[in-house]
Amino acid sequence: MSDLTRTQVFDTLRRNALDVVPELDPAAFAAERTLSELGCNSIDRAEIVTLTMEELGIVVPVHEFQQGYDIATLVDVMLKHA
Amino acid sequence: MRPIGIEALDVHPGLLQIAASDVFAGRGLDAGRFGNLTMSRRSVALPFEDPVTNAVNAAAPLLDRLGPDVRDRIELLVTTSESGIDYSKSIASYVHRYLGLGRNCRLVEMKQACYSATAALQLALAQTASGFSEGAKALVVATDVSLADARAEYAEPATGTGAVAMLVGDEPRVLTVDQGAFGTYSFETLDSARPAPDLDIADVDRSLLAYLECLGGSFADYCSRVEGADFVRTFDHLAMHTPFAGMVKAGHRRMMRELGAAAGPEVEADFARRVAPSLVYPGEVGNLFSGSLYLALAALIDQVRPADPARVGLFSYGSGCSSEFFSGVIGADSTAALAETRIAERIAGRGRLDFAEYDALLDETRGCLRPDRHRRVDHEPHLALLDRVVDRPKILALAAIEDYHRRYEWI
Repeated sequence: MSDLTRTQVFDTLRRNALDVVPELDPAAFAAERTLSELGCNSIDRAEIVTLTMEELGIVVPVHEFQQGYDIATLVDVMLKHA
Repeated sequence: MRPIGIEALDVHPGLLQIAASDVFAGRGLDAGRFGNLTMSRRSVALPFEDPVTNAVNAAAPLLDRLGPDVRDRIELLVTTSESGIDYSKSIASYVHRYLGLGRNCRLVEMKQACYSATAALQLALAQTASGFSEGAKALVVATDVSLADARAEYAEPATGTGAVAMLVGDEPRVLTVDQGAFGTYSFETLDSARPAPDLDIADVDRSLLAYLECLGGSFADYCSRVEGADFVRTFDHLAMHTPFAGMVKAGHRRMMRELGAAAGPEVEADFARRVAPSLVYPGEVGNLFSGSLYLALAALIDQVRPADPARVGLFSYGSGCSSEFFSGVIGADSTAALAETRIAERIAGRGRLDFAEYDALLDETRGCLRPDRHRRVDHEPHLALLDRVVDRPKILALAAIEDYHRRYEWI
C-alpha cells in the first residue's frame, strides 16, 4: 500500500479527463458523476483510466472495472491497488 | 527455413448493407458519438444466411480460383466462430460437405470469441511446418453473424456479418508469416459474451481496457522472442482486430505513447500511414468477429498495394480473453492475390437497405442460431432484396432445418 490519497487519485483522474476531453467542464467533475455523464465516450474513458493508472503506477485487474462506475468508485478501485 | 503462411484469402462481406448513419437516425442514437465509430456502412444478413452459408460463400470462390489440385490437398478444415449452431456438431462439418472437400480431412470448429481465427491459423501453420504431410493445405474459415439490435446500442451500427476464408500452406502469396515471431497474452474476464443463441452481452469499458492491456501484454511477449523488435520501426503497417475503428485508434495511441514516446500530431500521422488503410473494409462491413483481423489485413493489402516486401504487425484479440501479436510479410504477390478476389467491388455491390427494411429483417435473422427442431426458410419474400446486389454470385442459402439437421441449397 503506497501513501496515495483519495485527493491525489481524484486530481490525477480529473487532469487526465481534461487532457483527453478538453471541452469538459472542470466544475462538473464531481465524485458522484460518471465520466459518460460528463460527455466522455468509451474510448475517452479507457484513455483516462489507462493514463491515470500509468501515471500513478497502479495496475487494476480488468475484471474490477465495470461500465457505469461513478468517479468516486473509480477512485476506490484504484486506491485498492495502490 | 521454408516460407509458410496464407496462400489465398477471400471474404464474404454480406449481400446487403445499411448506412451507419441510418442506424443512428433510426434508433435515435446521439449523432455526436458517430465520429467515434468511424463507420460508413455495415453488412446485414438475410434470413437464409447463417455461419455455414457465410463460410461457404467466402471459401467457394477461393477454391474455384485455385482448382481441383489444391482442393484435394486440403487436409485440415477449421471453422472459427462465436456463432455456434450446435453444442456438438461443428459448422465445419456442414462447410466440408457444401464445399465438396475430400474425406481425408480433419474437421474442427474453434471458439475463443474474436481471437479464434488466429489460433486456427497457428494450428494450420503448425501442420504446414511439421512436414508430416508434405504439401498439405489447411483451410481456415472465420465465420460469424450479428445478433445486434436496439439492445446493442452503439455497437449496433458497427456490427457486421460475413466470413473470411484463408488457405494456409507452404506457398504463401498473401502473407508470409515470420516463423517464431509471436507473443500471447490471455486471462479470464467477462467483457463480452454470447450466453445464449440470441443474446450478446458486453461491458464496453471492461472490453476496451482488456483490449488495451492485451495489446501491450502480447507485444511485450513478442519482444521477448524477437530480438530488437520495435513497435515504431519494425512494422511498415499494422492490422488489428477492429470491432470499430476507435478501438484500434486507442490501441495504437497507447502503444505509441508507451513505446514510441510520441504524442499529438506525430501519432496521428503514424496512424494515418501505418494503420488507417486496414480500416477501410471494417468501416464498410462492420465487426466480423473472428474474421475481423483478416478483413483488416485484406483492406491493408488492397489499399497499400505493396510492390515490395513490407512487414505487417498483426494483433488479434478475443473477449474472455485471449490475444496474440504476430507478424508477417506482404508484397507484390499479395497485391496480385487480393486483386483476384475483387473484394472492394463486392462490398460496393451490396444491396442497400433503408432502416425500415433492415429493422424488419432483424425479427427473422435474430433467431438464426437457435437450434430449432424444424424450421422452413422461405426464400421467396426476400428475392427482391437479392436483386439489388450487383453481379450477385450464386450463393449457398439455408433451406430448412429438419430434425435439427440444417439443409442448404444454392440459389
